[in-house]
Amino acid sequence: MNVTINKQDEKTLVTLDGRIDSTNADQFQQDIAPLMEGDAPDIDIDCTNMTYTSSQGLRVFLLLQKSVMARNGKMVMRNMIPRVKEVFDITGFSNIITIV
Amino acid sequence: MTKKRFNPIKERSSEIVSFLMASPDMPKDPDLRFKIELSIEEAVENVVRYAYEGGIGWLEAGTKLDDESLILTIELRDAGTPFNPLEKADPDVTLTANERPIGGLGIYLCKNMMDSISYRYEDGNNVLVMKKQIKN
Repeated sequence: MNVTINKQDEKTLVTLDGRIDSTNADQFQQDIAPLMEGDAPDIDIDCTNMTYTSSQGLRVFLLLQKSVMARNGKMVMRNMIPRVKEVFDITGFSNIITIV
Repeated sequence: MTKKRFNPIKERSSEIVSFLMASPDMPKDPDLRFKIELSIEEAVENVVRYAYEGGIGWLEAGTKLDDESLILTIELRDAGTPFNPLEKADPDVTLTANERPIGGLGIYLCKNMMDSISYRYEDGNNVLVMKKQIKN
């Protein structure tokens, strides 16, 4: 999983590329740690090239969503491929994270 | 039928998943493979993390197809602490983000991605069997 973080004034653009599974979820959590703090909490995540996530990845997305909400921010995940979107649908994550 | 015993298993879940996904029993269709791989990862990870004190122990992983190559069966067997993961209550997927606890989604995903999942305790082993129809 490659994580690209581009901090702008108002919000942060994030691009995810690859898989999130049990082997790299901890690393993924470390990679996105900068998004869990600061006073510009809005995040826009491009998921076009996120090919897979297990529950280990969902865990990190939920932590991030909680962190963003606690700072009154908004998190959006974009362009999720249908296979990955289904994982978010089944677990109810589509209802608690804005997916467009 | 493809089968292999991994011993030890600590930090080897991705190797075990890769072994099963490379089985000739596996379908080619990417959507099916995604669901199967996810289910295997969640189930294997459960064993690797929780079945044995200190993670020292074995896991036997296998696949087979029925005679008509219609139904894929995945079997995981370990000699760890007796534990039926299917007895765990399903997560409440209607809660808000703040109410949602962290974790507890792995087996729930297996249940939803596979056609059936069953557990038995047999000869001192935990045996988890997952089935998926792979052809119409």
